[in-house]
Amino acid sequence: MTDAVKPNVETTLVNLTIDNVPVSVPKGTLVVDAAKRIGIDIPVFCYHPKLEPVGMCRMCLVDIGLPAVNRETGKVETDKQGRPVINFGRALQTGCTVEVAEGMVVVGYTEKVQKARQDVLEFLLTSHPLDCPICDKGGECPLQNLTMAHGRSDSRFIFDEKIKLAKHVPLGEMIFLDRERCIQCARCTRFQDEIADDPVIGFEARGRSLQIVTYSEPGFDSIWSGNTTDICPVGALTTTDFRFGARPWELQASASLCTHCPVGCNTTLNTRREAKAGGEMVVKRVMPRQNEEVNEIWLCDKGRFAHHYAAKDDGRLTGPLVRRDGKLVAATWEKALALVAEKFEGAGKGLVTLAGGKLTNEDLYNLAGLAKARGGKALLDSRMAGGDLTAQVGLSTGSNLADLGKGDAALVVACDLEEEAPLWWLRVKQAAERGATVIVANPRRTKLERHAAFTLRYEYGHEAALVTALVGSFSPKRADLPAAVQALIRDKDVKDAGQAIAGAKDLIVFYGSEGTGLAESAALARACANLLIGTGHIGRPNNGLVAVWDKANAQGGWDMGLRPSADLAADLGAAKAAYIVAADPAGDSPALAEAVKAAGFVVVQDIRLSATAELADVVLPAAAFTERDGTFTSGERRVQRLHPAVPAYAGLRGDFAVTAQIAARLGVAQEKRLATGVFNQIAASVPAYAGLTSAALSEVREQWPVIGRGDVYYGGTTYDNKQGLGVQLPVSGDSPALTFEQPAEPAKFKGLKAVPVTRLYDRGTTVTPSAVLHPRLPGAFIALSVEDADKMKIEPGQKVQATLNGVTVEVEAHIDNSLAQGVVLAPRSFGLAIEGPCEITVKK
Amino acid sequence: MANVIGSIAALMNGMWTVLKQGLEGPVTVQYPEVKRPVHRRFKGRHFLRRYENGLERCIGCSLCAAACPADAIFVEASENTDDKRYSPGERYASTYEINMLRCIFCGYCEDACPTQAIVLGDNYEMSFTDRSQAIYTREMLLDPAAPDARPTPQKVAPGSFDRSIPDMKDPD
Amino acid sequence: MSTVKGSHILLRHRDNPALSTFEGYIKDGGFKTWKQVVTRMTPEAVVNEVFDSGLRGRGGAGFPTGLKWRFIDKNNWPHYVVVNADESEPGTFKDREIMESNPWQFLEGVMLTAYAVNANVAYIYLRGEFWMLAAELDKQIARLRKEKLLGMKLFGTDYELELHTHLGAGAYICGEETALLESLEGKLGQPRLRPPFPPSFGLYGKPTIVNNVETLANVPLIIEKGAKWYRKFGTEKSPGTKIFSLSGRVAKPGNYELPLGTTYGDLIMTHGGGIPEGRKIKAIMSAGASSTLIVADDKALATPMDYESVPALGAQLGSASIIVIDETVDLKWLVDKTVHFFNHESCGKCTPCREGTYWMNNITQRILHGEAEQKDVDLLKDVAMNMKGKCLCALGEFATEAVVSSIERFPKDFKIKAGAKTIAGELKVMHD
Repeated sequence: MTDAVKPNVETTLVNLTIDNVPVSVPKGTLVVDAAKRIGIDIPVFCYHPKLEPVGMCRMCLVDIGLPAVNRETGKVETDKQGRPVINFGRALQTGCTVEVAEGMVVVGYTEKVQKARQDVLEFLLTSHPLDCPICDKGGECPLQNLTMAHGRSDSRFIFDEKIKLAKHVPLGEMIFLDRERCIQCARCTRFQDEIADDPVIGFEARGRSLQIVTYSEPGFDSIWSGNTTDICPVGALTTTDFRFGARPWELQASASLCTHCPVGCNTTLNTRREAKAGGEMVVKRVMPRQNEEVNEIWLCDKGRFAHHYAAKDDGRLTGPLVRRDGKLVAATWEKALALVAEKFEGAGKGLVTLAGGKLTNEDLYNLAGLAKARGGKALLDSRMAGGDLTAQVGLSTGSNLADLGKGDAALVVACDLEEEAPLWWLRVKQAAERGATVIVANPRRTKLERHAAFTLRYEYGHEAALVTALVGSFSPKRADLPAAVQALIRDKDVKDAGQAIAGAKDLIVFYGSEGTGLAESAALARACANLLIGTGHIGRPNNGLVAVWDKANAQGGWDMGLRPSADLAADLGAAKAAYIVAADPAGDSPALAEAVKAAGFVVVQDIRLSATAELADVVLPAAAFTERDGTFTSGERRVQRLHPAVPAYAGLRGDFAVTAQIAARLGVAQEKRLATGVFNQIAASVPAYAGLTSAALSEVREQWPVIGRGDVYYGGTTYDNKQGLGVQLPVSGDSPALTFEQPAEPAKFKGLKAVPVTRLYDRGTTVTPSAVLHPRLPGAFIALSVEDADKMKIEPGQKVQATLNGVTVEVEAHIDNSLAQGVVLAPRSFGLAIEGPCEITVKK
Repeated sequence: MANVIGSIAALMNGMWTVLKQGLEGPVTVQYPEVKRPVHRRFKGRHFLRRYENGLERCIGCSLCAAACPADAIFVEASENTDDKRYSPGERYASTYEINMLRCIFCGYCEDACPTQAIVLGDNYEMSFTDRSQAIYTREMLLDPAAPDARPTPQKVAPGSFDRSIPDMKDPD
Repeated sequence: MSTVKGSHILLRHRDNPALSTFEGYIKDGGFKTWKQVVTRMTPEAVVNEVFDSGLRGRGGAGFPTGLKWRFIDKNNWPHYVVVNADESEPGTFKDREIMESNPWQFLEGVMLTAYAVNANVAYIYLRGEFWMLAAELDKQIARLRKEKLLGMKLFGTDYELELHTHLGAGAYICGEETALLESLEGKLGQPRLRPPFPPSFGLYGKPTIVNNVETLANVPLIIEKGAKWYRKFGTEKSPGTKIFSLSGRVAKPGNYELPLGTTYGDLIMTHGGGIPEGRKIKAIMSAGASSTLIVADDKALATPMDYESVPALGAQLGSASIIVIDETVDLKWLVDKTVHFFNHESCGKCTPCREGTYWMNNITQRILHGEAEQKDVDLLKDVAMNMKGKCLCALGEFATEAVVSSIERFPKDFKIKAGAKTIAGELKVMHD
């Protein structure tokens, strides 16, 4: 197995000539791609380099000839000058469906080919409306561009005979369809089918009546729907978020990152000055930015649409607030900072800093530095553990999920990958399609299972036991293992999966937070690390541990020296002074709200007035991610940089700068001007980041497929990456030892056991300000097993009272038929008081 | 002698010109009470026109802003509904501003307009005492609705104005 | 032994109506071949016999049947046989007669084919309008199962076979074999890219043989009486008989089973009884709506109908549905009819066909209603020429054949008279 050749790396080269330019490309390359590699554009509509070719738009017709071979000798015939005789086909062929062959000659400049392009465009335009002036795609439209390049200058079609179709069809709440503009290229339906595995849209009827319809209820029910608007070669699909927002040429672009999950998708923020917003610069849309090692050219709908929490609306904090007579009132920065410094000084070692996981590395570094200098605690607002292990056995420099293929394996444990980190789901699914062995271990059914070679079920609480059993299935028998592990080892699927893991050339283990609290997470991370160490899958590219963090920059937090608290309520409650930055413990859990109230002096630093901020003594505003510079470390340990897209409110700075100003008043010197200054300090003092420079983060290489060269027809409107692909950190040099800790038995409860799960669309503070997502945000719910629902006579969709940790919430009851009896799923960030497995009572 | 006669003739000639001009009427007019007509192709202050039924021609496409060499035009679009319809089709200009201090009255906006919504009229009487006065908003630029037409926004029957360029004829 | 009279190999029920019943077919020696083949012959021997007979596909393309069977990918299993009974070409009604009146011979042919290519399942894909036929076929298949001619362990061997009928939803394009396969898989009936061809990548991605009803109805007699016997009919390169569906302006329209190589004149004037009321023949459509129009001069009438001679007239034999057009027919009307048909039936997958047929239909309508100028005729022809060679499947090409050939070969019909407002009045005779 170890000597298996990667299937996607084809080494045989084929020589051909395109428009008289000789080119050598790997065998199996399509003619359009070969041409693209040498900068010759063969126009396409239905072809997309990420999708299977279908050859239906007929735009890529070219003349293709092959050398004439003498049947008797088997040799290529030559003419008098010794050049090979080329036989061209009678008809033109579609360049998007023909693979290159040795000696092939492709011609695209002849009159015949040019005429064919003109004819196909003329056909397309007979039904396409002339409403470019109001079309959102106008200005970045493949049809527009190709018509200018290849189309006729006159129109022979009678305008009155143009077909009239519906122009305003909501496919879903987020995507609108204009049936007149659709040119039936099927890119959207093929994307949903081939890439997203959500075939919720498709064609109906035939001929000129062929039209896109949605099969799902609600319409276009997919978290990937926004991508179809990027690859639509006309303005048929538009998003509710950007509809008529601006013309593309009026937009400015700046590089940014998605801050919602640990994938760290590269994005481009399109901004424009707006009269409606009082002349402010406004983020009009979020577009994916190509990074073939992270998000390719895709972006999930949460990343695309949930950016409004950073908008400059009435909910944003614009200046410091100080509590006076029980009320928060505006204060000057000078007074507020002086007060904070005075109280922190008084708190001494009783200072507790709590940092949110969507802060940049620079913020986290300064916060941790302040806490350390004052002898206080530096806490990370996360319920997952293992950041120290990922630093040792995580993915290292040169890893790319796209390299996983035949002979490799990926283990996804305790994680609903599509909900927790959608792009990783996509890339693991693609690895499975390339032949990698994907093993999904989860107590209930998740979407990734459709592509899994092994599906392993275990009881909630046995996450670590299962991974230990996988180790046990190929290592010498150990009698001292707990009964739960022994039982799992006897399972045939576990045994087979264990064999597959042991034999895999490369192995990546993803562990999530499905059903785990901090303690379970720590045990799981340890077990996963053992698995990797035990099978030797460490220290090489494409091998290692990936934590599917609950927060975007949790890895950065661990690297900067912050740690999640084992008992956050106790830590906060005992704090003489609490400095809570970009976290909302009071909003997350009523128990934590009590702890915040109990804390001595509370300073909250955030962009909006959160539930925690309402309880604070001082509220300090900060700039949102759209307004500032900084770096993030993704779950794959890739350090990437975001840039400011819009100016911050006057006086507002990044969190690191506010922290540094407080630190300065306490006599702690910190960089407070430039984020890059802090970054340089990180590079100098954090070993894993040693030697990193801003310049290194900004390095780009040519990526395949080539997109964004102005020919928007080839790859769509995804932005080209000119601002940096980021740097993947190396793993630490010391080789960690195999440590066996007995996985603890899960806590038993008398009644029903609630386990926390993560949903992509939750009701957290970063999602709810985006009104465009509201139709898709579920209300608070719990999921019951069929047996429990039957016993309590609860119907799906019924409202029930759920009591967790003493807090009762009215929720909708869902039923999950893959759930074991006695277990209730309780989603995080829906107002349910859940941090780890706990008891729940459900009443009708 | 001939010199003297020549001088007198020249004198008489000059006197005659004076006399002739003296008998003609004055060329100056009593502006602003009296205004001279402008040339047929004179380019003055802009107007945003309406259709006969009162709907605005402007569809908020921003092509005028794109064509403007002085960057004097600013447009923001919004979506029409049948309950609140400003223009035919889906899109209308919710913000339309021209900075008359920047405008060079070249008329490119007029040429770029796909619905003949913006036209340069014959009004040249623009003076400002403040820079902000030079910004003409949508409300200032729009023609008033004809007496028999309804002002915008209108409530219309669903589906009656679903295309932005309603009167377009066969190009040839 | 099966009885054959004259040139009736497929339409034997015309001589012996009892053949349409199971008992009658058995009495005539039916299914003896089937038992013989399953118990005594290897699949390769069956393929070789059919290959030697020179049988060519009767669906239209005329591809040698035995050769197609040999192409089946033997490294990829299972294999499928799919019978194309989506008889939708205007003017074609031969498969229907076979399945209605001589169904047992057809079913035996399907079974023999399945055996020859090692398939254990065969699907009969019928056009949606054949629902009554499908019900009959289902009964007949059930009878075969009861008689132990279908099912597991046939005649004590390890071979098993099942037949199924499947009704289409009424799309002409599903007569195209890859679209048919898509439709059979439950998807939208749109043609696939070729290559790969069905013998290597067919139903559910498995090697599949798709054959026409008439082709397979030939197989039982070829196996029973041998390739040599079969070659007695027809010509050297186009052996066998062919059912010619004759329609249009002839005295006696209907199906005629004649040896390949019979001339057009023979079929139309002798068998078909000539043109009624002493009118003159003007043109022949040789393969339904998708064919070019042949100028019906003496040379054309003397041309033998086989796969080699017809192309010399700039036409195709196709499914041999001959539509006769007499001198009173205005080709403007005819072209409009064919274009309308293809506009209605285009699947919409590729641009030139989807948009081209729609556009051509607009133009022919204008021409028909007297709203066109001479330049519109040129435009019509130009649009058709622009479609040629650019479409994904053959339907797009077919849609242009009648248009281009009519305008080129019958220019008089397309002279737009100045001031002629409508020709609908002149066309009264068409609608009787």
